[in-house]
Amino acid sequence: MSLLEVEDVHTYYGESHVLEGVTLDVEEGEVVALVGRNGVGKTTTLRSILQLTPPREGDVRYDGESLVGLDTHEVADRGVGWIPEDRRVFAHLTVEENVRLSVPPGSDEEAGLETAFEAFPDLREFADRDAGTLSGGQQQMLSIARGLVNENELLLVDEPSEGLAPLIVENVAESLQAVAEDTTLLLVEQNLPLALDLADRFYVVDHGEVVDEGSTEGVATDDERFERLSA
Amino acid sequence: MTGALGTVVEVFVSGMAKASLYAMMALGLTLIFGLLGVLNFAHGSLTMVGAYVAGLVMVTFATGSGLAAVGWFLVAALVAAVLVGGVGAVMEVGLIRKLYDRPPIYQILLTFGVTLVIDELARIVVLFYGLQPRADWRGALGTKPGFVDSNTALLGASVPNLELFELAFGVLTVVAVWAFLTQTRYGLVVRAGSEDDEMAAALGVDVRRVFTVVFALGAGLAGLAGALLMWDPAWGASVPLASETLLPAFVVVIVGGLGTFRGTVIAAGLVGMVDAVTTYFFNEGIITFSGISELTIFLILVGVLVVRPQGIAGLAEVGGH
Amino acid sequence: MVAAFGVYPLLYSVLAALGGGVAEAFLPRPETMTAVFYFGLFAMSFDFISGYTGYLSFGHAAFYGTGGYFVVLVANGKVPLLPADTPFMVSMLLAGVLAALLAVVIGSVSFRLSGVYFAMITLGFAQVMYVFMRDWDFLSSNPRDGVAVSNSLHPEGFEIGVPGVDTLNLAIGALRGDEVDWLFLDLGATEVSYYMVGLVVLVCYFAMQRMVHSPFGRVLVAIRENEERARAVGYNTFRYKLGAFAASAFFAGIAGALFAGVRRSVSPDNSLYFLVSGDALLASIIGGFGTLAGPLYGWLFDRSVVEFLSKTGAGGGLLPLLREYLPASVVEAPLVGGMTLGEGIEVFLNGHAPLYLGVVFVAFVLFVPGGLLGWVRNRLGGTVAKQLPAYLGKFRR
Repeated sequence: MSLLEVEDVHTYYGESHVLEGVTLDVEEGEVVALVGRNGVGKTTTLRSILQLTPPREGDVRYDGESLVGLDTHEVADRGVGWIPEDRRVFAHLTVEENVRLSVPPGSDEEAGLETAFEAFPDLREFADRDAGTLSGGQQQMLSIARGLVNENELLLVDEPSEGLAPLIVENVAESLQAVAEDTTLLLVEQNLPLALDLADRFYVVDHGEVVDEGSTEGVATDDERFERLSA
Repeated sequence: MTGALGTVVEVFVSGMAKASLYAMMALGLTLIFGLLGVLNFAHGSLTMVGAYVAGLVMVTFATGSGLAAVGWFLVAALVAAVLVGGVGAVMEVGLIRKLYDRPPIYQILLTFGVTLVIDELARIVVLFYGLQPRADWRGALGTKPGFVDSNTALLGASVPNLELFELAFGVLTVVAVWAFLTQTRYGLVVRAGSEDDEMAAALGVDVRRVFTVVFALGAGLAGLAGALLMWDPAWGASVPLASETLLPAFVVVIVGGLGTFRGTVIAAGLVGMVDAVTTYFFNEGIITFSGISELTIFLILVGVLVVRPQGIAGLAEVGGH
Repeated sequence: MVAAFGVYPLLYSVLAALGGGVAEAFLPRPETMTAVFYFGLFAMSFDFISGYTGYLSFGHAAFYGTGGYFVVLVANGKVPLLPADTPFMVSMLLAGVLAALLAVVIGSVSFRLSGVYFAMITLGFAQVMYVFMRDWDFLSSNPRDGVAVSNSLHPEGFEIGVPGVDTLNLAIGALRGDEVDWLFLDLGATEVSYYMVGLVVLVCYFAMQRMVHSPFGRVLVAIRENEERARAVGYNTFRYKLGAFAASAFFAGIAGALFAGVRRSVSPDNSLYFLVSGDALLASIIGGFGTLAGPLYGWLFDRSVVEFLSKTGAGGGLLPLLREYLPASVVEAPLVGGMTLGEGIEVFLNGHAPLYLGVVFVAFVLFVPGGLLGWVRNRLGGTVAKQLPAYLGKFRR
């Protein structure tokens, strides 16, 4: 049994049929990448897992238990975290408040803060600044820190490198690698080299379904399976 | 005759007292809008219910003497806040929750309908028990202890103690709400949810329960405002209090910036001072138009929406909603 | 439907004459129907802008009040350039135009905003007007009570018809209207008012209907569905919104003028206060947003319930009905806590129609978002006019 099983999921935005039968799974400890062009349904897949945009058909199972029909916070409680596109830090809360909020109730807030600041020392410097005043790269670090502190076994990471300069992307990649050591990652990424670098396996998504998959072992970016990505 | 300084002090204190009242009327509305995105049309009705509940408690239980009466007032205010808060919770769970998937206009329409129901229910109860509007509810005013009714000398001015009381009450409430929002974990949750409820949910926050709690809190604040208004002869407990407080609350919330705590407080101060100053001008015969205060306040609403729709402390550029 | 409205007064008097008081209990009187017509027109004009473009005009009462006040002030000779004996038809049309101009002014500033903000700014404008008219002593010595038509200047009712042509004019108003004795028709002042006001409302309805079913109307709906896209396709949505707003204000002004014409007085509280806009909203929700005719039926429903539950039982209603049919022993029978059935009805039902209307309103928002007419149209599969013959045809087979 895989940690995460997505089975023939169909999701709609209104009447728009965005996911037309997505099937994939993620084993514990892996890093799996979802690649594909813009608008094919990668983000929607993550949202469907989180029940933010619940699937109309199909099933999503985490640790054997079906997630469909649960509230998003219940999914989060079971250990699934989200590092969304555009970071979505709480702009009017301070960096410290952003992290504190992510510490699950019942856990030690101070310890959580320490964990975050140790992993991302820059954040300690900005602890009292409103998160909205941070640069894109810093916000991404904060977003990852939140996912870390939130005590998740599976992290759904959406386009972490988007809009960031190459040097910053390197830092982000390093952080994600460190996180991947004890967390399973499902990574959506348009930056193909980054995806292949971080991930153990990949799925290619097109027109709302999975059309190809494979191991990233020895695969290059000009592999024929990725042709449709540049179409 | 009070001298120039005395006059300024009088008008200033009056303005601050009014600002307190407006802040209390508007704070609950802001909280609810900030988190749920619902403009609660029923807010005025909730304030009205609070006024009657508090009045009932006072008339039934309060004894006449000084500090005991104030003590009873605090009890009455608390009862009003809790009861109205309960009504708010019921409203949210039973009605508003069903409309979260629909365009926000439906929530406004729903709260409008609820206002019609609450107002008429209030009228039925008032008629049935022979609780007459305004005039007899000054009987509730009769529970005010003597010292609240008299004045204090301050910097050459004669300042009504009621105004000082309102000011103190308002400041305490504002500080309490501020402390709740910024110093407690739950307040943090509310602020985060107001910004991005999806992200908050993904971090494990039971957003639905927070919605209910905040709605109840907002309603409770309305009830509290009603209790305070009950003692003020310019307002008093009556069914029309509902629309009389709703409109200024809207103005304060919009001018301050929908959903922002800081903006609401600043705007309440502004509107309160404008009210006091225009009232002074009218009383002194400088302006003879009797509706000048209301007129000016609505003109401010229109002006702000034309020039800076996001309000004083508004968050984003407003082109639509 | 027009035919149904056409014979209504006849129908009412026939049913009433049959005795028993049942018909009178449930059906509103022709006087009430006249009010349903002019306020229904106001509600329809509200739907014209709010239902079709999606922009909620919370300040719509401003246009209604403009119409009403203008007509009364002209009649009292207080408007420069217009003599007191200006024919009603002329002042009514001018009232509409004035309201439309006001809408252009308000709209040019307000349509930059949308949603809640648009609703609030229109509300703000309307309240400014409300406070102004409530306290301006040019209008009368007690402006809070409103203005009334001077009886010395206008002993007869206002006339609807072709101005100048005496035979084609009929005066409206319950007390001062004309009576008609022609062939087999014997119409009292009430019925004359009913028909004349109804005629004006009908004409206005058809005008609005033409606009709604034209390319102009389709753009309005496109704006409601997705304004960004409409703009992207090339429409100057601002101009369309402004146009729709002005048109809706015109008809709102006419409605206000009719209101003033029948009642011969207006007050700030019954024409400019935001609760008046609220009533239009109520009518639209119950009748159906975006259906145009719906609000009229919604208001009809509202007034019927009010009359049914009226405290005085003036138009017939629950109380007289029960008195007729229930033996005194039942009415006097104690229920809960020593309160009799009769008393219970007195306390909870009579005069408290707004409570039940509010409940209906909430129920409709939750469960019947299309309103009555929307629901009917759904069942029929199209507008009543088109589908009714086919639907009824099903029963013939």
